[in-house]
Amino acid sequence: MGISARRAVLALCAVSAVSVALSSGTAVHAHEIGTTRVSVVFQEGRTHGSALTSGRTYDVEIVTDATALVEKIEASAGGSSRPDTSPRHLQSLLAGFDETFRRRVKISFDRSDVRPAIAYSVAPGVDATSPAIATIRLSGAIPQDAGHFTWTYAWTFASYAMTVRSGASGNLVTEWLEGGQPSSPVALTSLAPPVSRLATAWRYLTLGFTHIVPGGLDHVLFVLGIYLLSGRARAVLWQVSAFTVAHSITLGLSMYGFVSVPPRIVEPLIALSIAYVAIENIFRSELKSWRVALVFAFGLLHGMGFAGALKELGLPRSEFVTALLTFNAGVEAGQLAVIGAAFTIVGWYCANRAWYRSRIVVPASVLIACTAVYWTIERLSSSL
Amino acid sequence: MSHPLSASISRRLGFLIVAVAMSGASLGAHDMWIDPTTFSPQSGQIVGVRLRVGQDLLGDPIPRDPALINQFVFEDEAGRKPLIGRDGADPAGFLRVAMPGLLVIGYRSNASAVELTPEKFNQYLEEEGLDAVAALRARRHETGAKAREIFSRCAKSLVLSGSAREKQGDRSLGFPLELVAEKNPYAIGAGQDLPVRLTYENRPLANALVVAMNRLNPSDKLTARTDRDGRVRFRLRAGGMWLVKAVHMVPAPAGSNADWASFWASLTFELRATNADGN
Repeated sequence: MGISARRAVLALCAVSAVSVALSSGTAVHAHEIGTTRVSVVFQEGRTHGSALTSGRTYDVEIVTDATALVEKIEASAGGSSRPDTSPRHLQSLLAGFDETFRRRVKISFDRSDVRPAIAYSVAPGVDATSPAIATIRLSGAIPQDAGHFTWTYAWTFASYAMTVRSGASGNLVTEWLEGGQPSSPVALTSLAPPVSRLATAWRYLTLGFTHIVPGGLDHVLFVLGIYLLSGRARAVLWQVSAFTVAHSITLGLSMYGFVSVPPRIVEPLIALSIAYVAIENIFRSELKSWRVALVFAFGLLHGMGFAGALKELGLPRSEFVTALLTFNAGVEAGQLAVIGAAFTIVGWYCANRAWYRSRIVVPASVLIACTAVYWTIERLSSSL
Repeated sequence: MSHPLSASISRRLGFLIVAVAMSGASLGAHDMWIDPTTFSPQSGQIVGVRLRVGQDLLGDPIPRDPALINQFVFEDEAGRKPLIGRDGADPAGFLRVAMPGLLVIGYRSNASAVELTPEKFNQYLEEEGLDAVAALRARRHETGAKAREIFSRCAKSLVLSGSAREKQGDRSLGFPLELVAEKNPYAIGAGQDLPVRLTYENRPLANALVVAMNRLNPSDKLTARTDRDGRVRFRLRAGGMWLVKAVHMVPAPAGSNADWASFWASLTFELRATNADGN
């Protein structure tokens, strides 16, 4: 999961906990919830490192503030308490303090401790004001016949959420823990079964489609803006092709970490691109080559937006490419559905009428432009 | 070059301190302080206001939580303004320095509830110097009883933009429990005294334990009990970031579904190696 998605999840966790506390109706509120998050996944016969294990495996991911963790670890080892905070330096420090880190982390199966393989990585925060985020992955094989899993993480003072994927449904179970508090024993009797490639493909195809319809009104309005420029199929085809190629490029590059632009920049620009396309529709009705180039540029932006959404959903490491391609295909299907619906409702009957521009294109474009300008202002103000 | 033995002792001591501090992670008795991204901003600069919970100045970030915020403000010579921020984000707030001078940043939380075992509660009373509460529990034969507590935070931080002047001073923000520096800490140098006053409901709080610690050596704590005017004086020998803290506990108000209500005051600032006169 990407950093922006992680931060979104952390924020969601904090806000969810607050909501729970508020809904309890008491005069007091939840504990002070930190930014640490722990997620646990149990698998049957999945790859573990480079080897394929025939038995069950566990995979624990800790996402936490890298600087705060390094400060505590360094202090416990008698070192400096104000380290260099560059992600690369923090990552090398964490890896160097592996044994110290292990002292306050405990994974037990039926009260017997196990020694996991640990991989440390540190990535920069989503923007200049956000702290670097450490992702620490602990993995290993579950002992044969083990019945219960218990987790303890004593490198935080704040409350944190531990989510465990358990049961055939794959539902997440969340337990809130105080720093250092052992989790309740988690039964391993019904682990999530391995998910087939076909099921993954279908799941991400559906997620891609629903990200557009009904989930992505901004993308829907952009596609409608493309459609409304001209009633000619050639104009729609050129623009849709340029948009598709462009957003596929940045979606892929973002998911592989080659491109990273914070959502606070991307989201207002996406709204602005919708406004531009709609406003241009009011004044022009012919496709020009530079319009195709602009739609291509806007497509690059929207691709980064799709990547943000996909990071929030999370990608299975074992089926990364399948999930990425099918999500993109789902997005395409959603866009084509929007164009198909627009053609069916107004295009096939009205596009050749004399009043098509004055009664359909211009009012619809004004409406889209107003909505997009409102979104631009709203997104800019919330990102300041 | 440090002696290998002293390095070894330092490492063991460090581990012991953190081990003790982290073992307190389960006590529910942690300090909270404000850790601004800079204590010396330029005029016009945006300062991130981070909230930290932990012990011995080793802490975890606490993101902005609208349900916990009672007041999150800063005050300069033009008056008091709210700190803006995104819910769930760290830093929890941001401010823009509009003019040179001393800025007083304050965070007051709503009450949170916690229930502690008798052992943990008694240990926490001892650590925080809450002898009167321990004595009251003993008189009531409650020492062996679990405790239901509501706690709230009253954290402040002093940030200086521009050069320090004697007349610049900390100000009371009207928090239930509040530490107020009676001298501008940016106008004194390392090795000089800083008088601090502790108030509870705007009145001096006597005989309360106040602790001061420096980020570079938090285990070397300065402690003092307030006099009848609520005052303590600390000789701050080292430069860098300082945390001054105090805890006060009273019987919980009726209807709060708790036995005790505690208030956690903190004050952070940076002591410069030299004062305004260059001494």
